[in-house]
Amino acid sequence: MGKAAITLTVNGAEADGLVEPRRTLADFLREDLALTGTKLGCEQGVCGACTVLLDGQAVRSCLLFAVQAQGASVTTVEGLAASEDFDALQKAFSDNHGLQCGYCTPGVLMTTRALLDTLSSPSENEIREALSGNICRCTGYHGIVEAVKELTAAQA
Amino acid sequence: MSELTIPRGKHVGARVNRVEDPALLAGEAKFVCDLTLPRMLHAAFVRSPYAHARITSIDTSDALAMPGIEAVLTGSDITAYPLSDLVALEGLQKTPQPVVATDRVRFVGEAVAVVVARDPYVAEDAAARVEVDYEELPAMTSVEAAMGDDAPLLFDDLGSNVVFQTTRTFGDPDVAFASADRTYRRRMRGNRFVAAPMETRGVLADFERASGKLTVWSSNQMPDLLRVTLSAVLQFPAQKLRAVAPHVGGGFGQKMTTHPEEVVVAYLALQLGRPVRWIEDRRENLLAAAHAKEQVIELEAAVKDDGTILAFRSRCVGDAGGYSFNQASALIEPWYSATLMPGVYKVQNYEFEVLAVLTNKTPIGPYRGVGWTPGHTIREMLLDEIASDLGLDPAEFRQRNMVTAGEFPYKACVGQVYDSGSFIESVDKALEMIGYEEFRAEQESARARGCHLGIGISPYVEPTGFGSEAAQQQAEFPFPSHDNATVTVDPTGKVTVALSVTTQGQGHKTTFAQIAADTLGVELEDIAVVQGDTDTSPFGMGTYASRAAVIAGGSVALAAGEVRQKILDAAGVLLEIAADDLTIESSRVSVKGSPGRGMSLGDVAMAAYWAPTTRQEGKDPFLSATRFYDPKATYGNGCIVAVVEVDVETGHAQVKRLAVVEDCGTVLNPMIVEGQVRGAIAQGIGGALYESIVYSETGQPLTTTYLDYLLPTSTEVPSIEVGHLESPSPLTVGGIKGMGESGLIAAQGAVVSAVIDALDPFDPEIEELPLSPDRVLRSIGRISG
Repeated sequence: MGKAAITLTVNGAEADGLVEPRRTLADFLREDLALTGTKLGCEQGVCGACTVLLDGQAVRSCLLFAVQAQGASVTTVEGLAASEDFDALQKAFSDNHGLQCGYCTPGVLMTTRALLDTLSSPSENEIREALSGNICRCTGYHGIVEAVKELTAAQA
Repeated sequence: MSELTIPRGKHVGARVNRVEDPALLAGEAKFVCDLTLPRMLHAAFVRSPYAHARITSIDTSDALAMPGIEAVLTGSDITAYPLSDLVALEGLQKTPQPVVATDRVRFVGEAVAVVVARDPYVAEDAAARVEVDYEELPAMTSVEAAMGDDAPLLFDDLGSNVVFQTTRTFGDPDVAFASADRTYRRRMRGNRFVAAPMETRGVLADFERASGKLTVWSSNQMPDLLRVTLSAVLQFPAQKLRAVAPHVGGGFGQKMTTHPEEVVVAYLALQLGRPVRWIEDRRENLLAAAHAKEQVIELEAAVKDDGTILAFRSRCVGDAGGYSFNQASALIEPWYSATLMPGVYKVQNYEFEVLAVLTNKTPIGPYRGVGWTPGHTIREMLLDEIASDLGLDPAEFRQRNMVTAGEFPYKACVGQVYDSGSFIESVDKALEMIGYEEFRAEQESARARGCHLGIGISPYVEPTGFGSEAAQQQAEFPFPSHDNATVTVDPTGKVTVALSVTTQGQGHKTTFAQIAADTLGVELEDIAVVQGDTDTSPFGMGTYASRAAVIAGGSVALAAGEVRQKILDAAGVLLEIAADDLTIESSRVSVKGSPGRGMSLGDVAMAAYWAPTTRQEGKDPFLSATRFYDPKATYGNGCIVAVVEVDVETGHAQVKRLAVVEDCGTVLNPMIVEGQVRGAIAQGIGGALYESIVYSETGQPLTTTYLDYLLPTSTEVPSIEVGHLESPSPLTVGGIKGMGESGLIAAQGAVVSAVIDALDPFDPEIEELPLSPDRVLRSIGRISG
């Protein structure tokens, strides 16, 4: 199968790749760039574990081909962890026990980042709606919702 | 101080943030899928598309001819003993399962070949090119079909698809039923639902030829058992075999048993001399990883007019799938349903019949709450029916039949000894939290305006701390079940705690450090907890059956207590004072009552290691201890109360509120306990309303994606209020009880009861779960078929 050359920005740095057109963005990030923080839970766009930001929008990296990210700017959990407001996210999730096994957590954090960027003072229902595309099998969502409530309250 | 007492300083019982969190939040934590090795190859399995068939031929030539393919193996190419269960219960038939099928497939998804390639995409391409010819056989997708007179046999030599059948009688149920004022009967087909951990299964194996060392990283809950099993089925020397469970993304029981794929990947690494990795995809996880829960249960009750339950009679038929799955066996469902059926209720006359039946579906394995879940659900459904018929309040009726505070220790008729508890009190507290009286008023007024609210009350007792005695009480056979911990203070005064239990997200590195910190008088940050690696952890059974808090908690406390004494002995020599007069606080050893007189733990440790003068005749000076712990059986309890709203036009049921009171004895970290409770309840909500593995009549699974197999999300699980009661166990170290499974034991029943209560005006008939909209509408006659 022929390969395509791609260039994109990942976590603020230029990343080049030579990929088969069928290679998913998730596999490109995880395997080619060794950014394994992004997780795969279903590879069908349902569970949200692979959520990353693509030009600021939360997207499922398992549903995008790497070639579709040509020229785009991608942020993964590793990029988020290096950002200056990560401490607040980390504290809110840890204080509220918003994670257990932690496998869904990178996706939840990316969705949360997008939510904080787009909604000001969301209601609990709006928070739950926003998080409904991220399946967590451990927490029953309680701690996640509480963490996001705390973050949105701090932002308001 | 008795060995059963643990010090409660500032750590045990405190809401301490988890030490695990930073690495997980930053995306640094490594799961099996994140591990790579030089020259690593990728495996993909070819799986049966038929529920029941003979394999007539397999042609691997096209697949082998593809560029990038290293190997294609079929069942006959693999030298490994089949997997079988370890359950020594008389009458249980064994169904050896080849790790890759050789001549016969018994469920859709059973592996028939494995492809190894340099790239995972190419491995999947080649798997699609393996040509397998099958001769299809009739498939049985229900226990009724599999038990039919003319049913084809899954194992010809067994002569039946029933691999286990027994009856047990306790007290005199016949007399009780004959003398009862009223008798009741209910039948329920409990749904097949699954653990669905967010991280699917995954295995990476590496064989170093020169040293002969085989290392297997697997998303597994029991690395020691995995190591022993691999050693046995591959005939590989155990001393050269290392099993590692790195970060594991949820297990919930599914990752207890050794799955065939773990054996195959290890075998591939041995044969190919290169690292081989297999990462399961979600479709495979829903197809081929152990399923759970499905049973057909009938339950009868004999009752007096005053509401006293005299007797139960049950028949629990487990749908085992294609094999009595290894380690836990087909009994994991029906046996546990049957044996815990009396639950919190004082019913001493009881008869049960248990059957485990093979069908052409994925094998059943353990999942949080094992068989307790469906047994609990049908019992609570029946109790609601009885209360309603007798005109009694469902809470009061239940409480009237419960074991009271003064009756502990209470021996249940099947043999469990409930060591302590708060059965009645937990119901009172949960009802208070939900506002029961107010709810009944609200329910009535809501009904008047066409809004149908219902409440379900689900009190539970949970067998925990699964050691050998609990195994005997639950399973009627002595499954030796114990664990070990090693606590070591190094020459700098810092602490390593090595555990044989493993974690799949339960926060062990925090809770067990809390215990060690209080016993040794150090801070949490002075402690490292290591686990999940057979090279660095002592032997143990691992994590299952709500046992880690009890067993690892106990063994850590015992080992840390021993090391504490060694520190005090060394410090006593150094300070020229009796060890009994010393204490340790904040990593400083000092004279009791004279904190100024003492020295740092680091200085004591340094001297203990390197100053021979600190050593005492006849005492082992090494600041390390390994302690074995096989606890007495102990039982947690509590009560879940759910409020649901049912739309009788659409059939949609939504959980509106949920309150739970849990009693796990001594609470090590309330935040973690609450997280476990809420997570398990969410899974119970799934099992009540959404989750079901569905098969077609020919045995084709219809729920192989998360679009078909519905998991509850943040919009289906309400905020869950958790209350605590503490009845410490008089039998375990620290009074600790387990609690990990209770939410899933009791939440399905709470939610189902609430739906039935909401539908009360319509006299619903419910025999099958989950209560999906179509089933709700059918139950009240709004749709037919």
